Amino acid sequence: MSSIEIMPLDQLISEEMAVKRTSVSRRQFLKATVPAGALASAPLIIPGSALGKNGALPASERIVLGGIGIGSRGGLVLSSFMSQPEIQFVAICDIRAERRDAIKTKADEKYGNKDCAKYSNIHEILARPDIDAVLIATGDRWHTTASILAARAGKDIYCEKPCSMTIAESLALADTVRRFGCVYQAGTQRRNVANFTYVIGLVHGGTLGKLQTVHANTQDPKVTHNWLPAQPEPPKDVVDWDAWLGPCPWRPFHSDYVRGRWRGYFDFHGGGILEWGSHTVDLCQWANKADNSAPVEYEPQGKDVICLYANGVKLVMREGGWQKDLGTCCVRFEGDSGWIETGDFARMNLSDNLKDKHKTFTERGTTPDGHVRDFLNCVKSRATPRSNADATSQSHIACHAAYIAWQLGRKLKYDPVKNEFVGDAEANRMRSRAIREPWRV
Amino acid sequence: MPDTGAAPVPVQLKAEEIMTLEQTKLIELLTSDAPDFARAKACQRLAVIGTREAVPALAALLADPKFSHYARYGLEPIPDPSVDDALREASGKLTGRLQIGVINSLGNRRDTKAVEALARLMDGSDADVAAAAAAALGRIGDGSAAKELQRVLDRTKTVAGACLECCEGLLTKGNKEQALALYEALLLRSDLPPAVRLAATRGQQATRRP
Repeated sequence: MSSIEIMPLDQLISEEMAVKRTSVSRRQFLKATVPAGALASAPLIIPGSALGKNGALPASERIVLGGIGIGSRGGLVLSSFMSQPEIQFVAICDIRAERRDAIKTKADEKYGNKDCAKYSNIHEILARPDIDAVLIATGDRWHTTASILAARAGKDIYCEKPCSMTIAESLALADTVRRFGCVYQAGTQRRNVANFTYVIGLVHGGTLGKLQTVHANTQDPKVTHNWLPAQPEPPKDVVDWDAWLGPCPWRPFHSDYVRGRWRGYFDFHGGGILEWGSHTVDLCQWANKADNSAPVEYEPQGKDVICLYANGVKLVMREGGWQKDLGTCCVRFEGDSGWIETGDFARMNLSDNLKDKHKTFTERGTTPDGHVRDFLNCVKSRATPRSNADATSQSHIACHAAYIAWQLGRKLKYDPVKNEFVGDAEANRMRSRAIREPWRV
Repeated sequence: MPDTGAAPVPVQLKAEEIMTLEQTKLIELLTSDAPDFARAKACQRLAVIGTREAVPALAALLADPKFSHYARYGLEPIPDPSVDDALREASGKLTGRLQIGVINSLGNRRDTKAVEALARLMDGSDADVAAAAAAALGRIGDGSAAKELQRVLDRTKTVAGACLECCEGLLTKGNKEQALALYEALLLRSDLPPAVRLAATRGQQATRRP
């Protein structure tokens, strides 16, 4: 007979999440802002902001955020986070000393103190019990591993795209997030950007009739397996090359990789389909209500891949042929009653019969604000954000499967329930890559 | 090097050329004095096309600090039991990071024959190796792996995360009873991290539902 009293799950989750929502006790907050030793000596002056004065949220209402690998794109997203009233950014982890310093300066200037902590070791930042959530904005190669480590540490996660390098990583990510019940938002933005959500609304509302074909703007899939010539490795406290590589295969150091020019290398980059497909294929999945699945057929044609869902809808991943002036990351949805095409410039074109549905928007597709807000709302309510791990996993699987078909140069069939290619052993072997020790997902 | 009568593979090859070589030539590259680049690419290509024939050449690199991961990169996807034999053997000989890498690969391949060896490593003095062994047992996720994890769980919470994954593995194999027993053992510990406790409770409740 079990000696454990079975607590109703809803009650348990409610109690645990109440703890999580108020995880920054006043004492912890004060420890973070008052210099070490001061607590035991001079009279303690509690900042008014800690008590919720002058419009500041009290410490118990704040979400404590840490950052991992924040460069230029990450810096933009961090600015969006830091503009939210409940965010308190307390720590940065980066393998590059200059980036640690830059983000610490940004945070310290914002808060008017010198309290932002710097780490070069991801385990140390994730071990901080006061941190509720992390913003992960490293290069692609680290996204899954860092997210899984964060999930295991009980953190909520906002992770820049793309969120995985392989089908296996996509599945491991979704499984781990589900297992630990954390809130996960992929930094794809567009599910919270007005023109895209409006267009999806038209599709789901039946305005286009029965959906026939969805088109996703992707890029040239070609990458290189080459190495840049070896350069002397900098001191570890300047750039930790071993940590930069992380789960990726070893190669000699070259400063170009570390300075952001790692795209286009097979070991570090998921390829051109994933680069934009993590946004656009994701939107197509959403339009087709396929967030829990992926296409069952993939046929490469030049730089493009033509896919087919089990429900008969076609997905065309293509580089070119997009209408002018819509910007980057375009999508096109075709139904039997019309079509609509839109992109990052917030403009849209529609078939003649749907011109009355045209709307003007101004928010660009690259803007993270709505997405960040959605994430923070879900951190507090424990609801599921729009670009959650399950939906993200499936859209990434679609991109990875397409890329595998393109690499092999042949049509592939995929079983999205078993998560394997049908009758193609070579393709199945490409679903995963062994990760460099000591890391694991 | 066996005398096949064929011209030796030139060592100064580009990646695109290496990626089109057939297995025999790739193995030849691995066992030659080819530059690191060529040998690395050969390992990566063998991940896609390698067979049992490639296993000895790849396994020979498991103890090489520079190439151990490349060797596993090539070995892990090869669907032949000789890979598991080679990884098991290496897990008992290597130490430190290389050992951890091999242990991770055993877990990824879900090698049930490695349970005993992994259990011994879990009892060892190297905490990182022990953690890797526990994680690998969690990934194998069968009854014998669960037994070993539960045995260690009685004295330390450090394997708690691995237990969670093991429970899910048991459930996919239809072993509901043992999964529940492992969830219960987890929840008996009062010192679990909150995230693990919640995950274990969630898992237990879901498993109990009809």
